[in-house]
Amino acid sequence: MQALEVSGVTKTFGERRAVDGVSLAVNQGEILGLLGPNGSGKSTLMKIIVGILKPDAGAIQVLGNDATKDPTAVKRIVGFVPESPRLYEFLSGIEYLDFVADVHGLVPSAKHERISHFLKALDLEGRENELINGYSQGMKQKLAIIAGLLHRPQLLVMDEPLNSLDPRSARIVKDLIHKLRDDGVATIFSTHVLEIADAICDRIVIMDAGRVVEQGSTGDLKAKAGTPGSTLEEVFLKLTGTSDTREIVEALSH
Amino acid sequence: MARIFGDPRIILVLDALFLVVPALLFYMLSGALPSGIEGSLRELEVEALAGIPTAIAFMVILFGVLSEISQAAESMSTDLVNWLPITPSEYVAGSTMSLTYTYSFMLSFLLGVSLGPALRFGMILVWGASALMAVLSLFIGACVVELLRSVTNRISSSFYKKSGRSGIFVRLALTIVVLVFVQLLFSGRIVVYLLQGIMLTVRVAWFVPVVWPSLAVLAGSQGNTLTFVSFAGMTFAFFLILFGLAVRLRAIYWVPIPVSIRLTNQAYHPLRRITILPGFGSAEAAIFRKDMRSLTRRREMTRFLAIPFVLVVSLSISLLPISGTAVPEGLGFFALIPLYVIPLTVFSAVVSMTSLGQEGSAVWNIYVAPITARQLLKAKILSALLLGLAFSVTMATFLGVLLRIATVHIVLLVTLGIAIVLGQSAMGMYFGARFPDFREMIRSRFISVWGSLIGTFLCLLLAMLTALPILLSIYVRRIITYDFAIVTFAIGLILFFVGWKLAERQIRTLIQEIRV
Repeated sequence: MQALEVSGVTKTFGERRAVDGVSLAVNQGEILGLLGPNGSGKSTLMKIIVGILKPDAGAIQVLGNDATKDPTAVKRIVGFVPESPRLYEFLSGIEYLDFVADVHGLVPSAKHERISHFLKALDLEGRENELINGYSQGMKQKLAIIAGLLHRPQLLVMDEPLNSLDPRSARIVKDLIHKLRDDGVATIFSTHVLEIADAICDRIVIMDAGRVVEQGSTGDLKAKAGTPGSTLEEVFLKLTGTSDTREIVEALSH
Repeated sequence: MARIFGDPRIILVLDALFLVVPALLFYMLSGALPSGIEGSLRELEVEALAGIPTAIAFMVILFGVLSEISQAAESMSTDLVNWLPITPSEYVAGSTMSLTYTYSFMLSFLLGVSLGPALRFGMILVWGASALMAVLSLFIGACVVELLRSVTNRISSSFYKKSGRSGIFVRLALTIVVLVFVQLLFSGRIVVYLLQGIMLTVRVAWFVPVVWPSLAVLAGSQGNTLTFVSFAGMTFAFFLILFGLAVRLRAIYWVPIPVSIRLTNQAYHPLRRITILPGFGSAEAAIFRKDMRSLTRRREMTRFLAIPFVLVVSLSISLLPISGTAVPEGLGFFALIPLYVIPLTVFSAVVSMTSLGQEGSAVWNIYVAPITARQLLKAKILSALLLGLAFSVTMATFLGVLLRIATVHIVLLVTLGIAIVLGQSAMGMYFGARFPDFREMIRSRFISVWGSLIGTFLCLLLAMLTALPILLSIYVRRIITYDFAIVTFAIGLILFFVGWKLAERQIRTLIQEIRV
C-alpha cells in the first residue's frame, strides 16, 4: 500500500487557483522533496494532505484512509510541521509537548520516554520549563518538529522544517528523517534549499503556479531538463521559468 | 466597528457632538433652576472648572494603563512601528497625540457639560482657562502613560525573569485591581467623592505638579492673572519635562523583550491523568488544562477573569443604599433578579463566546490534532461551565450576605444561576464557533464584532426567558416557589441541549477547514 496518493487535487482561494489538478504518490519509507517558487502551492497542498484544508476537487488517500471523508483518522497517522509554526506562547515547552501527547492519546510512560528523548536530542533539555514566548525562533521550530513526531506518525509532512535551525539541529533532523525512512515512515519535505533536497530526498516534485511541472529522482530531473551535469538549482530555475535571473539582478542593482 | 472608531474624522465629529449637545442641555437646565440657588451653582461651576484638568489627566492615565493591560506582549514586541526608521521623540510625540485624540471625547464631554452653566453665569473666560489647562493636562496624562509603558517594559522583563510562576499571579492580581478601580470611577458616588478629594488636595498640595492646572484655573476665576500665568507656565514646563523624560526612557527601553519565564526547576514527570468526568478523555482534559493556563497567564485574557470582580463591585455600589433594609421578599426580590441575571449572563456568554477564538493563530494545533467536534466542544464548554457556576454561586452568596436573604432564597437564586450558566455556555459556544476571530492584533477580540453583538443580545434574551418562570412566581405569588424554579431549571437544560447541538454542528463545520 502506498503511504500517500493524491489524485487531481484542486484548491481555489477566491480568483486564485492555489493548487491545480495535482496528482502524486509517496511510497512507504520514501522521502519526497517538494520544491517550487514562493506561491507555487506547496504549503496549500501540504495542508490539504494533512486534512486541515478541504480540496475543491480530487482525492487524497493516506495509508488507505480518505483524508476528505475521515480527516480525524488521517490526523492520527500523520505528523505535520508547518512553515513558521505558531505555538501556545503561554505554555512552557514541556506543557506544550504534554498537550500534544495527550491530544494524541499517548500513555504516560510512552509520553515520558518520547518527550525526554527528543528534548535531549534537540538540545532543549534544561529549557523545557520556560514559557515558549521567551524561546528563540529556532527553539520554537524544534518544539514544532518534536510535536510532529511525538505520536510516531507513518506519514510525515514537513513544510520547510529546517528554517531557523542551527547546523547541529538541522543535521539531527536530517538524520532522523533518514532513520524514519528505514523504519518505513514516508516523508514529504518542502524546502527552498536545493542542496538539502538533493542530499536527503529520494524523489523530487517541482511545483509551479499550483501545478506539478516535473517529478522524479535528481538524476531523472537533470536528464529530463536536458542539462546533464548541471546542478539541481539550474534544473529548478529552468523548469520554473526563472532561469534568466541576471537581468533581474541588473535591474535591482540600479 | 473598530474601523469606524479608528477614523480620526469620526472622532472629530464625536468630539463636536460631545461638546455641543451637553453644552446646550446644561445651558437650558441651568436656566430652568430656581434663582435662589444660583450662588451655590456658581460656586459649584468654579469647582467643576478647576477640577476638570486634574480629573482629565487622571482618567487618561487610568484608561491608558487599562489599554496597556489588554495588549498581548507578543503583538507589542512585533508591532510594525518597531522596525520603521522612527526616532524616540517621533514615537513619543505620535503616541501621545494618538492617545490624547483617542480620549479627547472625555475632555469634550466634560467641557461641554461645564460650558452651558459657564455661559449662563458669565464665566466664559474661566471656562476658556479651564479648557486650555485641560488640554495641557490631557497631554500630561498621555506623557505619563508613555513613561509607564517604557518603565513597565523594563520592570516586567526583570520581574518575570526573577519571579517565575509567582510573577504571573502577581500580574493577574494587579490587573484585576486596576480594572476594578476603573469600574469604581463609573460610580457617580465615587466620582463625587473623588472630585471633592481633588478640590481639597488642590488647595493644600499646591506643590504637586498634577494639581497646578487646577490651581491656575482657580486663580483665573479669582481674577489673579499673575498666579494664573505662573501656574499655567509651570504646567507647560512640567509637560515639557515629562515629554523629555518619556523620550529618554523610550530610547532606552524601546519595546518589551519577551523573557524566558521558568515555571519550575523540577524534572519532567508526566502524571497519570485522572479522568475528570465520564466520557472525558485525555484530549479533552489536555485542551481544558491549556485553556485554564491561558486564562491565568495571558495578559489579554485577564480582562475576562476580572469581569466577576468588576461586576460584584459595581453591584455592591448600586445595592449599598438598600443594604440592611427589609429581607427582599416579593417585589424586592423581583428587582434583584435582573441584577443577578444580567452580570451572570454577560460573564457566561463572553467566556463561552471567546473560548474558540482565543486559540488565535495557534489554532492550527487544534486543526492538526485527531479530535472530533464533540471532543473540542466538551473541553471548551467545561471551562465556560466551571467559571460560570463558580461565579453564580459566589454572586448568589454575596447577594445573600449583603441583603440578608433567607438561605432558601439563596438556593433558589443558585438554581436560577445554574440554569442560566447551562444555557449561556452552550449558546455562547455556538456564537463563538459561528463568528470566531482568530486574528492576533494589538487588542484581540476572539469573536467578530457582529458575532459579539448578536450573541450577547440573544444570550440576554434567552437568559430572561430562563428567568421568566421565577419572575412570574414572584409576580403572581409574591414568593419564589419550587415548581416555578423547576420550570426555570428545565428551560436552562433545554437551552443547554439545543445550544450543544447547534454548537457541535457549527464546530464540525469550523474544523473542516482552517481559516488563518
